[in-house]
Amino acid sequence: MSSSIYINSKNVFLDTVNSKDYVQLDRVSTIYQALKDSIKKPLKMILLYGKPGTGKSMFLTKLYNDLSSSQIVHIYQTPILDESEFYKTLAQDIFSTKYSGELNFTQFMKIVENSDIGSIPVVLLDEAQLYSDALMEKIRLISDTRTIKFVITLHKTEEEDLIAKEHFQTRIWESIELENASNAELKIYIQKKLMKANCFDSANMFTSKSVNKIFKLTNGNYRDTNKLLYALFDIYSAYDANHQLSSIGTTHVSNKLIEMSAIHTGLINA
Amino acid sequence: MLNTRDLEERWLKYKIKSYIPHATITVSLVIIVVTISIFFTSSEEKSIDLREETKTIKDVKQEGETVIKVAKVTPAIEQNTQVIKILPEKVSSTPVETKKQPSLNNSDDISLKLTPSLDFMKKMQHSSLPYYQNEIPAETKVNSNAPIYSSQIVEEVQELDIEENTETVTTEEEKPERISIQRRDASDDIRHIIKRFKKNNNPALSLFIAKKYYELGEYHKAYNYALITNEIDRDIDASWIIFAKSLVKLNQKEMAIKTLKQYMETSHSSSAKILLDEIISGKFK
Repeated sequence: MSSSIYINSKNVFLDTVNSKDYVQLDRVSTIYQALKDSIKKPLKMILLYGKPGTGKSMFLTKLYNDLSSSQIVHIYQTPILDESEFYKTLAQDIFSTKYSGELNFTQFMKIVENSDIGSIPVVLLDEAQLYSDALMEKIRLISDTRTIKFVITLHKTEEEDLIAKEHFQTRIWESIELENASNAELKIYIQKKLMKANCFDSANMFTSKSVNKIFKLTNGNYRDTNKLLYALFDIYSAYDANHQLSSIGTTHVSNKLIEMSAIHTGLINA
Repeated sequence: MLNTRDLEERWLKYKIKSYIPHATITVSLVIIVVTISIFFTSSEEKSIDLREETKTIKDVKQEGETVIKVAKVTPAIEQNTQVIKILPEKVSSTPVETKKQPSLNNSDDISLKLTPSLDFMKKMQHSSLPYYQNEIPAETKVNSNAPIYSSQIVEEVQELDIEENTETVTTEEEKPERISIQRRDASDDIRHIIKRFKKNNNPALSLFIAKKYYELGEYHKAYNYALITNEIDRDIDASWIIFAKSLVKLNQKEMAIKTLKQYMETSHSSSAKILLDEIISGKFK
């Protein structure tokens, strides 16, 4: 195997949110389809929640790409923490209304009421746990007018569960939880991801045993898995450059290298 | 590029660290298992020893033959063997009849014919000391001027004699019924014991060989082995007796009387005195 294969494989696992990198897994596909169906329903708000690294951002990006061709959809991956700035951004993006000065909630609501865009626009808000409680309450009030549909993602922590309970429990009509991958899903995820990038040799290196090892270390978390595999192929590249690959073998992923990657990424505290 | 060497070192440390608990558990388990097995083995050995001891004591009480089996009671062998007469024509594996014996000290009045199996001699091996290093020739010429060491006085000889006599008598009396004993070939047994004696130089063995040869009528050999026994341990009363008896049988009556007298000066042995009287009176020929 040439070193370029390892470098290519390494780049597959770069921690970026790109809908092209979205991997079709049975369970994930079902959830995604449910989310898409929810958009069509006359819902006020959809909550997407889960632990960090379970693919919420990827879901949102994928949804944006899929919906953007058929309806008005806007995605905000970075939270807009300033309230006035948030209204101004929405007014400009959805209603094409530029506002130079401060824009408060009342003024924005007036813009919303006077709008005649026809279909209900969808606003995708990533990392919603960073918004203040006051702003979240305003977002709820906007969604109540049924003029804008919100899809928000939340990290699932105890605190965020509280937010979900207090602010959204009665108003959210659909809530979808994303979970870590199972052992079998992780294997499919890794192999599909590599095969998408034409790294077939690397994909074949992942036996059930090595995937088990990875699963034990990452607990099926996609982000951790990406990090680990990036480090793994980085080490493979380094070994290849130093002509040390013969001592490890290339037929299957070496457990030693998996552990070394875990040490490097901090998954193992050595 | 990654510093793989540093990463490998960290990995090695991690592996060692992760194996420590496993190694500790394994080592402690092995230690526990070994300790338990040693404990059980030793306790089993103890119980076996106890059972064997009990068995031996029981045997001594029940069977006249097994009196000989107790290795430390060497004079008992003498007493029994004195009363045993082996008929050469009966050396085949036929049962030998035994009868109650009225007198034990007089070898002429033999009524009980016992021919013991010599397997018990195996047990003697462990209790013996390496007194004798050189190989003993099977046959040496009779030396009438052979030195007889008798300078040491042993007071215990007399006491032992009495004890052994009593014990043997008791055993004999407890067993009035007929005893049928299957015996081995005597010459084979002697060869076996000679071999054993050459290994461990136990005077009890050489004395036994001397007695056996004497009983088989091979007085030269009996003389030699009595002499060897005497060289190893000059305080064994029976070796002097066999020595003297063999001398008489080899027509060295004077020498026998002289030897016995010499011995009696230091030991005051009653059996030696009886034998001396019998030789002088011509009763023992």
